[in-house]
Amino acid sequence: MLPCGTFNQDYGRDTAVIRTRLQWIITILALVVLFTFPLYGAHYFIGLINKMAITIIAVMGLQLMMGYCGLISFGQVAFMAIGAFTSAILSSTYGWPFWLALPVSGIVAGVFGIVGGTPALRIKGFYLALATLAIHYIVAWLILHLKITGGVVGLHAAAPTIGSFAFDTDETMYYIIVPVMLLMTYFAKNLARSRIGRAFVAVRDNDLAAAVMGINLFYYKLLGFFIGCFFAGIAGSLFAHWMMFVHVEQFPLADAVFFIGMLIVGGLGTITGVFFGTVFISLLIEAVIFASPTLTGWFPAMGIAPAAALGASAFGVIIVLFLIYEPRGLAHRWNIFKASYRLFPFAY
Amino acid sequence: MQFFLELSVNGLLIGGLYALVALAIVLVCKATEVVSLAHGQLLAFGALFFYAGYVLLGWPLWAAGLLGLACGAVLGFAVERLCLRPLIGQPLFSGFLMTFAVFMVLDGIFALILKGQAWGFPDFLPAGNITIAGARVSLGGLSSLGICLLVFVLTVLLFKYTKVGLGMRATAESHKLAQGAGINVRTIFSLVWILSAVVAVVAGVMLARYYDIRFMLTMVAFKGLVVAMVGGLDSLPGALVGGLILGLVENVAAGYLDPYVGGGIMEVAGYILLLLILLVRPYGIFGLVRIERV
Repeated sequence: MLPCGTFNQDYGRDTAVIRTRLQWIITILALVVLFTFPLYGAHYFIGLINKMAITIIAVMGLQLMMGYCGLISFGQVAFMAIGAFTSAILSSTYGWPFWLALPVSGIVAGVFGIVGGTPALRIKGFYLALATLAIHYIVAWLILHLKITGGVVGLHAAAPTIGSFAFDTDETMYYIIVPVMLLMTYFAKNLARSRIGRAFVAVRDNDLAAAVMGINLFYYKLLGFFIGCFFAGIAGSLFAHWMMFVHVEQFPLADAVFFIGMLIVGGLGTITGVFFGTVFISLLIEAVIFASPTLTGWFPAMGIAPAAALGASAFGVIIVLFLIYEPRGLAHRWNIFKASYRLFPFAY
Repeated sequence: MQFFLELSVNGLLIGGLYALVALAIVLVCKATEVVSLAHGQLLAFGALFFYAGYVLLGWPLWAAGLLGLACGAVLGFAVERLCLRPLIGQPLFSGFLMTFAVFMVLDGIFALILKGQAWGFPDFLPAGNITIAGARVSLGGLSSLGICLLVFVLTVLLFKYTKVGLGMRATAESHKLAQGAGINVRTIFSLVWILSAVVAVVAGVMLARYYDIRFMLTMVAFKGLVVAMVGGLDSLPGALVGGLILGLVENVAAGYLDPYVGGGIMEVAGYILLLLILLVRPYGIFGLVRIERV
């Protein structure tokens, strides 16, 4: 919906993501703020944004799989782990530069995704969810027991370098992670609007009907898995080189659950929803971690820091509330808000 | 051979417990079409209340058992009434996510109650071993399997021969038709949740006897799900067969393969089994094959 008096006068304008001059100004300002942030932002927030940006990439892959293509997956964290370990193995064991290891780890994760996604051809919905859960456990077990992944010791992943300059701090990694995140967002947004995205939506809504309309289910379901896991692999590689260390315990099943929660809170089937959901849930978890010393003070009997327990509970309550009161997520609220301010003086 | 026998007998003993967890999940899934993870917490809380009654308050066994069952029933009713009823009419997957969210909420509370420790569970069943066909079997394990089978049979009888059970089966067939025939589907939903929670609590108390009350106890819900899917999500006998198969496969695989691969087979064996079964029979061994139409 466009504001009063704004018209799209040609096809190019009509299909553009950023349509009006005001939107361009806001976008450029936001990019300027985003890219100058490390110059004045606190160290803590830079680390937080790095983490969020990596999560956004992984969740965006899940959004393409689950929100667009209807392939429910608990395996996103496992594929992230595959990307991270591939990147670490390539860069530390074989001495590849990060810039090559990053796309390769995405592709490797995508290929594993195709292998893991083959059950999707026969099963869907909840059955697929459990099959991907099985994949998570199997991948975690393999990583722990193979020699090449370092097993229980984990692997070192060198910081990315250009010449003699090493990206070894949060501030410098910020300039790798955030642009990659923006690039992937651009990619995802345009993919979702293309023929592939529309085919995904058709498969999601009813795969038999989609097949009847001439959509090759075999191809599009596996493509969905490939793209989703490609995103996860990229996220994993960035994570590995940001942490400079990978270990299987950095990729718990709980994160896969959080990813799905982020999608629900943000809204399934929208790219903006990924940002809303990820930021919302990440801030919620941060707030719980932040508040846990105080809470421990209130309930000294609890002994251990109740952060993890309370975080899980708070997350669960949020999901329950969203499922009951706003199943379409924050992105839907945002659209309602946008429509109302654009129409402002009028009701509709 | 001796080794194999002992492994399989122990596997079957645990498998009976898995079957009971799966039975609870299958009951709910059959009637309400929601696949539930929340039972992992229901059984843990049931075991917790049993512990509170039996050990902390020193009540007799039957009173503590009743307390555990009652608590499970109340919790199951609350989950259905507060969380799942508002979702009637929504896509089925949101029901599963809701039970997952409930799982997370209760998980946090469970962790806070446990304070990071494992509570040693009293062995309230007869101690000692007997020898069957050359394999040593613990009497406690055998009687817990017996209790599980008893509960299983009672549930099946209830499903088959009572009016409430008939209502549940009709609801499982079709919500609309059941409603048209004068069955109050909402009441049936509540009843099914209460029944399945009670079944889950029995399984929980028996499992806690093996594993103590510890944080990981709730994760048995995932095993229950695996069993339910291996057997078929809408099949009661499937739950029993699937449970026994999973227990057997897990134990035998762990016994024979663990020395070669360095442990942890127990955790993955079930999932590998699940993947294989899903590839061959997507609806489980006894599951109803649904023919889809556009």
